[in-house]
Amino acid sequence: MNGLRLSSFGLRGFVGESLTPEVVMDFATAFGTFTDGGLVLVGRDTRLSSPMVQASVIAGLMAAGCEVLDLGICPTPILQFTVPRRKAAGAIAISGGHMRTGWNALTLISADGGFVDPVSGEAVLDVYHARDFRRADWQHLGTATKIDDFAPPYFTALEEHLDVAAIRRANLTVVIDVANGAGCRYLEPFAQRLGFRLVAVNAEESGYMARDPEPRPRNARQVASIMPLANAHAGFVTSSDLGRVSLVAEDCETASEEYTFPLVADHVLARTPGTVVANCCTTRTVDDIAHTHGCRIVKAAVGQAFVISTLTDEQGAVGGEGNGSVAVPRFSRAFDGLLTIGLVLEDLAQRGGTLSQRLRELPRYHIVKRQVYGEPRHCYSALDSLHRDTEWATGATLDSTDGLRADWVDGWVHVRASRTEPMVRIIAESRFRSQVEARVADIARRLEREL
Amino acid sequence: MKDFLKVGISGVRGVIGETFTPQLATSFARAFGVFVGRGCVVVGRDTRPSGDMIERAVVAGLQSVGCQPLLAGIVPTPTVGILVRDLAARGGITITASHNPAPWNALKFMGRDGLFLDRTRAEELLDIYHQGRFDLVNEEGLPVTEIISDPTGTHFKRVIDYVDSAAIRQRRFRVAVDACNGVGAVHTRRFLEQLGCVVTMCHDLPTGIFEREAEPLPENLGALSALVSAQHCDVGFAQDPDGDRLAVTDEHGLPIGEDLTVALAVQAVLDRHARGPVAIHLSTSRAVQDVAEKRGAEVTRTRIGEVNVVQAMLALNSPVGGEGNGGVIVPAVLPGRDSYIAMALVLELLAKENQTLSQLRQAIPRYVVIKEKIRVRPEQVPEILRLLRRRHEHDKINLLDGVFVEFAGAWVHVRPSNTEPVIRISAEAPTREAAALLLQETRAALAPVL
Repeated sequence: MNGLRLSSFGLRGFVGESLTPEVVMDFATAFGTFTDGGLVLVGRDTRLSSPMVQASVIAGLMAAGCEVLDLGICPTPILQFTVPRRKAAGAIAISGGHMRTGWNALTLISADGGFVDPVSGEAVLDVYHARDFRRADWQHLGTATKIDDFAPPYFTALEEHLDVAAIRRANLTVVIDVANGAGCRYLEPFAQRLGFRLVAVNAEESGYMARDPEPRPRNARQVASIMPLANAHAGFVTSSDLGRVSLVAEDCETASEEYTFPLVADHVLARTPGTVVANCCTTRTVDDIAHTHGCRIVKAAVGQAFVISTLTDEQGAVGGEGNGSVAVPRFSRAFDGLLTIGLVLEDLAQRGGTLSQRLRELPRYHIVKRQVYGEPRHCYSALDSLHRDTEWATGATLDSTDGLRADWVDGWVHVRASRTEPMVRIIAESRFRSQVEARVADIARRLEREL
Repeated sequence: MKDFLKVGISGVRGVIGETFTPQLATSFARAFGVFVGRGCVVVGRDTRPSGDMIERAVVAGLQSVGCQPLLAGIVPTPTVGILVRDLAARGGITITASHNPAPWNALKFMGRDGLFLDRTRAEELLDIYHQGRFDLVNEEGLPVTEIISDPTGTHFKRVIDYVDSAAIRQRRFRVAVDACNGVGAVHTRRFLEQLGCVVTMCHDLPTGIFEREAEPLPENLGALSALVSAQHCDVGFAQDPDGDRLAVTDEHGLPIGEDLTVALAVQAVLDRHARGPVAIHLSTSRAVQDVAEKRGAEVTRTRIGEVNVVQAMLALNSPVGGEGNGGVIVPAVLPGRDSYIAMALVLELLAKENQTLSQLRQAIPRYVVIKEKIRVRPEQVPEILRLLRRRHEHDKINLLDGVFVEFAGAWVHVRPSNTEPVIRISAEAPTREAAALLLQETRAALAPVL
């Protein structure tokens, strides 16, 4: 299944198969048409395919008459931060993000630096499908200008947002693994501005993903193995676009990526209480944290664009997802790995303890994630039958915002068809290990009967 | 002509914003990558504003099938041919619509020999394009674009080495150049200064926004003429936007006619560099033929189209030739039209003959060409051509492209247009009256079938 995926947030495909320069150009021209030939920023990660995709994106935008600012290698959150400051009509981020080698994707960014909202995204898709492109004549073609002065304002804003004095005083040693991605060249200035000792891992712009770029415990082993040698206080593993982060404690514990968001939310809410936005399959730890601070929690559909647009609608204080994404709207409308790392370091510096203690203080649940494979059309009918026959959900409240979610006192189960792969995803949490395993096994059995 | 797109022997041409899109360019570049096979491909362009966009599209298309783009940037079209051979590349793509107006752009394809693709190869490329089945490379196989440093270095060195550059330098010629806001605006000053010239230029901003009509025809050279007389230059050179064609003015600023550039080049090469047959295309001036025959060289006329002239020259081992539109070809330097070798040969003539350009012009026989077109229905064309063949069966006749009939000191050429429903009749003779008569007789002969 290396097919092309088009959605209202962007496009992704596999290089050498579905992701061709023509498709990318058409999509970029469609976005350029949507901005009516406005100023568009373009940034990319370090993947071997990204220069080709970038050339296609810029050509497609120029054809629509867009003026293009080319940021070169630039993490998606820094690109998003820069969009409103340059008063651009939008941006296209080129990055495979957490996906393995061979994949690449375009993500559409709106004028406010958030993701393009679903209605606008569908307008772009309509232009793409109808090939109803804006075509500039030779005198009105867009021009592309390379810029490289966008990072300092970002870091200055980051310094102003964080308690740098405290971080500096704490004299921290930090291991960061950026998967040879877009973050490589930004680690040094980041460490200098915040005043910590940096041990960079997989920080060469070689174009090769040195590891699976999804931040999660099984991809955090390299960092974990370095922690004691470096005498490090904290370790971080990021995706190739620097959007997601998972944590590694000083005792080498590779924490589930689920805990990045609750830890940061706890820290942010202590200073600036406000509404928390999560998606409907994020760990209940976040709910507990929000309640502790007396804050409201709002659940959005799964997908970064939904979380960010809900954050905007609700004027939330912090938002995130269980995949290691965190956004603080007071800073930007992006899931920002550097900001996330900065907030964790600030938390450590201000509290004084160790990261492992901090993680232990978070209310934890037993979490089980499982996939049941099946053709997409069958997946939806299997979900329908779970919805009809609710014997499995006795004693729970059901919610169908996105897929199906059942909430018990001790935990919850969320079942939904994947948008990107032919499978149904089950995520469940409970205070009791036996309970969560039994529930997931029961649902998986029911699904397998249907699929 | 709103939706005009021309796909043919000279590449793919169209109008920016209408038919010539980056999507089209990337698809053709990819087909070309498949056609030449995985390896390096040189990419050059002229100064048109759309060049940057099209270059990016070409780069992406080449990479997607595993060809490594070597970027020459803004360079003359002939330079790309040199680079292809020098860098042992698989082929070359030039992004230029040559003398077409600014809204146009085009891709021109060169094989590994640095020559434009001939008809057969161009058709094969088209087949690949239309079949649309490409072996795309996966991420690990994607090549990285490289930028060629000093791309015109070898080209200019070969030109300068070919002529007696010491003799030229000694004269410190005052030269005026009209670069037509094209590639010449970037490179020509440096080139001529290497030959010791004192250079003054007009239309010398490389913007691709042409301040004069792109073809170097006499009526477009007003600014250059004024510059030549104001600056008391020895010669004026007018390039086209991609630097393959050249027109010359004398020391008074008077254009000598772009068809005589080849005559001067033929004289320079045959007198001082090499002997051998001369190839020109069918509608090149009779004056070139006279200059060559006076020096004992045989003259072959080829079909219209640069690659046809070049291939004939290579087959005949011809040292010099070209096209009446100002395209001089010297295969020892490079197998394609090149305004730089043309400039060097003219300067060499001035230096060695110790004559002014107007004196050199005087020595070349004068001819007059008259052209007209007649509207016809396509089905009338074969009968028209058959009738002319019968009429001239005892004359010297060439059937490569329509009917070309040669008389003593004159010719008449009748051919169907590739782009309009007309037949074009042209005649050349020593005087306007003689040419007009020839044209009138031909038209009269065709009356029965019109």
